[in-house]
Amino acid sequence: MNLDWHGAVDAVIHHPLFGIGITLGAYQLVLAAYEKTRWIFLQPVLMSMLVVISVLLLCGLTYSEYRKSTEILNILLGPATVALAVPLYLNLRRIRQLFWPTFTTLVFGGVVATGVCLLLGWWFGAEHMILMTLAPKSVTSPIAMLVAEQIGGVAALAAVFVLITGVIGAIFGPALLSRCGVHSPEARGMALGLTAHAVGTSVALQESEECGAFAALAMSLMGVATAVFLPLAVSLVA
Amino acid sequence: MLLRGLTWLVLFQLLGTAINHLFLSILPGPIIGLLLLLTYLIVRGEVGAPLSEAASTLLRYLPLLLVPPAVGVMVYAADIAADFWAIAGALVLSLLISMVFAGVLMQKLIARQARHEERP
Repeated sequence: MNLDWHGAVDAVIHHPLFGIGITLGAYQLVLAAYEKTRWIFLQPVLMSMLVVISVLLLCGLTYSEYRKSTEILNILLGPATVALAVPLYLNLRRIRQLFWPTFTTLVFGGVVATGVCLLLGWWFGAEHMILMTLAPKSVTSPIAMLVAEQIGGVAALAAVFVLITGVIGAIFGPALLSRCGVHSPEARGMALGLTAHAVGTSVALQESEECGAFAALAMSLMGVATAVFLPLAVSLVA
Repeated sequence: MLLRGLTWLVLFQLLGTAINHLFLSILPGPIIGLLLLLTYLIVRGEVGAPLSEAASTLLRYLPLLLVPPAVGVMVYAADIAADFWAIAGALVLSLLISMVFAGVLMQKLIARQARHEERP
């Protein structure tokens, strides 16, 4: 009896569920490793991405085939972005007292975070597509990806820049803030959430409840502000 | 419960997409949906149980949903390599500068507000 091993492997690799299968598998594997070690470099998205890319390269699959088979996950990304309104609303209710300091820091901090990055990237000689992808790097990934695509960048690259920003912020942020004399939990949370989004917020939550609340608020405010004003600003300049 | 909340989210996203096509082509549909939902919540003054359940379930799996688009980076490996140092420099330096800026500014503003409240 001669079994058709080659054909069977081919059938599995090119099955529409294969992409979803490896994505689910890689994600759970990385999540389990992260739970065990709590190592900040094991960011689920970043590591799952590397695992999936290695599997795709090993099997000789193209990105477009993988993308097509994971379409269903992509479709859910829209409602998930809309759902970000719920935590934003809950956080907004908490800060009535410190409204003006928060609002002012959001405006100036947000402009500095985006402006300095664009200026440095341009000065270091990055091309236009890369610059437009770097611009939304301080906001949470679904928003950054939508915005990058909108202003002429690349969604996939934006996701990676966002993650790198978050990880660097989480590693160096708390020590840097202490060294610069920023000790109030509200200010530390605001700085971490504004510049290092979800990863910064998780670090802020470890510091204190109050610090975490401000980080979550800063993250969602910065996300919405960037989503609304960055495309506007770019369309005015261009 | 979960399905009812999910239906709301999908409805808001579709409404956002319609508005995006009709008037606001610079804002992506899901972002308009987010703003609409936020306005709705502010007007209503509370988050209903179905919506809150659907939102927290979906947001818990947000990292998983982000994996497929992030894998797209394999197509752009050459572009990253070409601008590697510019990207790394811009990301790291701008992060450190803006983090310190935001932290110091917020702390100063809080202190100022506290002083104002002491001497009204």
